[in-house]
Amino acid sequence: MNTEPKKFNLNKYFALTKASILEELSFRANYLVTFLGNLIYLCVIYFLWKAIYNSSPHDIVNGMTFSDTFIYLVLASAMFNFLETYVVWIMAKDIQTGKIVVDLIKPMNYQLYTFFYFSGIYITYFFITFMPTFLIVLFFTWGKIAIGINLVFYVLSLILALIINFCIDFLVGTICLYTESIWGTNIMKEVVVLLLSGATIPLAFFPETLRKIVEMLPFQAIYNLPLTILTSNNTDPSGYFQAIAIQFFWVVVMIILSALFWKKSIKVITVNGG
Amino acid sequence: MKIKKKTNTLRYYAHIYRMILAQDLKSKMNYRADFIISNVGIIATNVSGFIAFWIMFQNFPSILNWTYYEMMFLYGFSLIALTPVQLFFDNNWNLRFQVYSGDFIRYCFRPINLFFYYISEVFDIKGIGQFAFGAGTLIYAWKNLGLSVTPLIILKLIIALFSASLFMIAIMNIAAATCFWITNSGIVMVFMFNFKDYARYPITIFNSIFRFIFTFIIPIAFIAYYPSLIFLRPDNVPLLTYLSPFIGIIFFYISYKVWITGAMQYSGTGS
Amino acid sequence: MNMEPIIQIKNVSKEFKVLNRREGLMGSIKDLFSRNYKIINAISNITMDIMPGEIVGYLGPNGAGKSTTIKMMTGVLKPTSGEILVNGRVPYENRTKNAQNIGVVFGQRTQLWWALPVIESFKILKEIYRIDDKVYNDNLELYNNLVGVKELYSKPVRQMSLGQRTLCDILAAFLHNPSVVFLDEPTIGLDVTMKSKIRELITELNRVKNTTVILTTHDMGDVDALCKRIIIIDKGTRIYDNSIENLKDYFGAYRTLKLMFSKNPEDNTEENLNKIAAEIQTSLHKEFPSAENIAVCSNEEWIDIFINEDEIKMMEIMNFIQNTRNIVDVKITEISTESVIKKIYEGGVK
Repeated sequence: MNTEPKKFNLNKYFALTKASILEELSFRANYLVTFLGNLIYLCVIYFLWKAIYNSSPHDIVNGMTFSDTFIYLVLASAMFNFLETYVVWIMAKDIQTGKIVVDLIKPMNYQLYTFFYFSGIYITYFFITFMPTFLIVLFFTWGKIAIGINLVFYVLSLILALIINFCIDFLVGTICLYTESIWGTNIMKEVVVLLLSGATIPLAFFPETLRKIVEMLPFQAIYNLPLTILTSNNTDPSGYFQAIAIQFFWVVVMIILSALFWKKSIKVITVNGG
Repeated sequence: MKIKKKTNTLRYYAHIYRMILAQDLKSKMNYRADFIISNVGIIATNVSGFIAFWIMFQNFPSILNWTYYEMMFLYGFSLIALTPVQLFFDNNWNLRFQVYSGDFIRYCFRPINLFFYYISEVFDIKGIGQFAFGAGTLIYAWKNLGLSVTPLIILKLIIALFSASLFMIAIMNIAAATCFWITNSGIVMVFMFNFKDYARYPITIFNSIFRFIFTFIIPIAFIAYYPSLIFLRPDNVPLLTYLSPFIGIIFFYISYKVWITGAMQYSGTGS
Repeated sequence: MNMEPIIQIKNVSKEFKVLNRREGLMGSIKDLFSRNYKIINAISNITMDIMPGEIVGYLGPNGAGKSTTIKMMTGVLKPTSGEILVNGRVPYENRTKNAQNIGVVFGQRTQLWWALPVIESFKILKEIYRIDDKVYNDNLELYNNLVGVKELYSKPVRQMSLGQRTLCDILAAFLHNPSVVFLDEPTIGLDVTMKSKIRELITELNRVKNTTVILTTHDMGDVDALCKRIIIIDKGTRIYDNSIENLKDYFGAYRTLKLMFSKNPEDNTEENLNKIAAEIQTSLHKEFPSAENIAVCSNEEWIDIFINEDEIKMMEIMNFIQNTRNIVDVKITEISTESVIKKIYEGGVK
């Protein structure tokens, strides 16, 4: 019945990437507002942490200076803006309206289909909302972000972070096969990911035991590892390799977990309505 | 005579609101899982905010002379003040969909205030969890700060919370009403809604430009900072704190007028 | 009839200022600062009186100004000039007071609470309109006698079919005994049995309560079943206001001659038939230049020829066509309301 060719052809998936880039580009005003929101957030973070550091007797807290913390948090929020593409919402809506059936009968792997559908959004958001924020931070803190091998590893690390993040989204989206409460499910995911990944507060500030636990979870591979790579300045790349290896481990684990969970769920649950 | 008519109208609206609310709650009870998960979700958001604060204060003893418990006070106060907008005005989030699809017109034919009728339709239960968490945080801070509890203070607290809640309601009314004029109002709403998270910080951490913006343009400083000064800095309360109930009412009234004007203008032209 | 009209519309016009939007991002930024308006006359100088208890069909093509007129009568919209009185009151000066005495149904847009069972919606409406217990109970009993909807009452609106929803919306619109009810395409999207059920309901409610009904529709079945009087507007002006009989008398000499040239479905493709219709139209106009009202169109496998017998006899046309084509089947029909209205839209009545 399924006549999918044995040879794995990526072209059809890249077609999805292109289509979703074009679709995204038609919402130009959204970028302007998102970017403006980033700028305001950037200012708020600046003043807040400036005040925090001013109230402290030390210039360096837990190995981080004010500018380290500032760069870390602003870029974390800029990363959040391009990583949060509402995968959960869209999957849940498709499940509830029954539209998912149309996607399931396409001769494609659903998880890959979804990933490539969103890839265009990731790419557009990366260039339109993340890059400007990055450049502004780079410019205003000139000299604080090292320009060298760390940038190369950062980009690599970002891609791995994106895949881990997508797999978590996909996993949570799959949970929506079981519950009608999309808002509640999604907000819990967001909260857990943001806090435990070190996006709200750098992991360096966490109390010892808490940090030890969090470092064993996949979440820190999304924000903490890439941002640590970016803000560090090592000429010896062995530390970078170690971080990438940890991320790679989580990529493999999360892909397997999310794919297995999806496979199991889709068998158990019949799609609502039609 | 006129006053009697006014109170009658008020009673009429209160009665109708209660009725719709009771029915709405009854039908929502059919979705108990959603009720529980949404509330757990909103509590989780705030627990995470709470943990972030806690971690921050593990490293820094105070922020510009604001202690941990004082910051907790601001946080709890802001959560309670942000509860009414969540509980009672959530239908604003649906407004743009109704307007773009033309369905909004169906609200225009009842012998009852249009804004009231529209807003009364949705009661968002998530607000309950937020309120519970906010109240817990506020009591925790209150106790640890050793603040007194007298009937007068309680009265002040209620007035302060009530007027503080008007500001976010007004901001969201205006943000939602932009859909009567522009097509991208969803992003405007998200943009404005995110400002609520900055309400939990003392405004003194910002420079003068941001202080001005957060006081007079997007007045989130009234959500927690200004009213809290009555309790936290009773010897040094600025005039703006005492004026905040009046400013709140005026601001709410303006937002209501903007909303209604947009609605009437739209209903004429749309579809 | 010595009654006072329940709705009086006198020389009413409505203009809209419409923004000429510029294109692109720069365009929308420019729009923020300098606006370029154009004035559209949605309604120009309409006058009409409607008597209590009438069912009036308010017809016109899409965009003719029907809903603008209704919005003005319901007080949502203020006319640019002229005067409207509903129940002796100016609607837009007090929208809420006016709303107390009218009911409105919009075909596909329910005004009931989506998540609530219908009966709970009714109870809320009872409070909103401050309906007496007696009136309310009498109405529920009446509804039960008319359509027997008791088992529907406990069902939430979102679980209903479109037909059930429309039915309940109509009942809700009559609940507070309004003197005027506006029905905007009440039968749109419904199947045949539901349509006739709804038409019966409207007729009965109008008969029992003597409620004035203003009905806009594109379904001529609604018009035939419900309306004695129709008002037709187009491009904002009234082009017809009289009884439906009068209209048919006017077109009494009109017939539709239906011809079929082949029973083979392969010959009867839409494309082919349209071509034949166009050819016949040109040749008829050439042959009988005095018969101005001849119109030819394809209709499924038939070719319809619209003829005014005061101008030309039907047999002449048949003979003429038979000379060049082979006719396999013939039908002659009275003119339907549908084609009369279509004729009026196209400018057939001066």
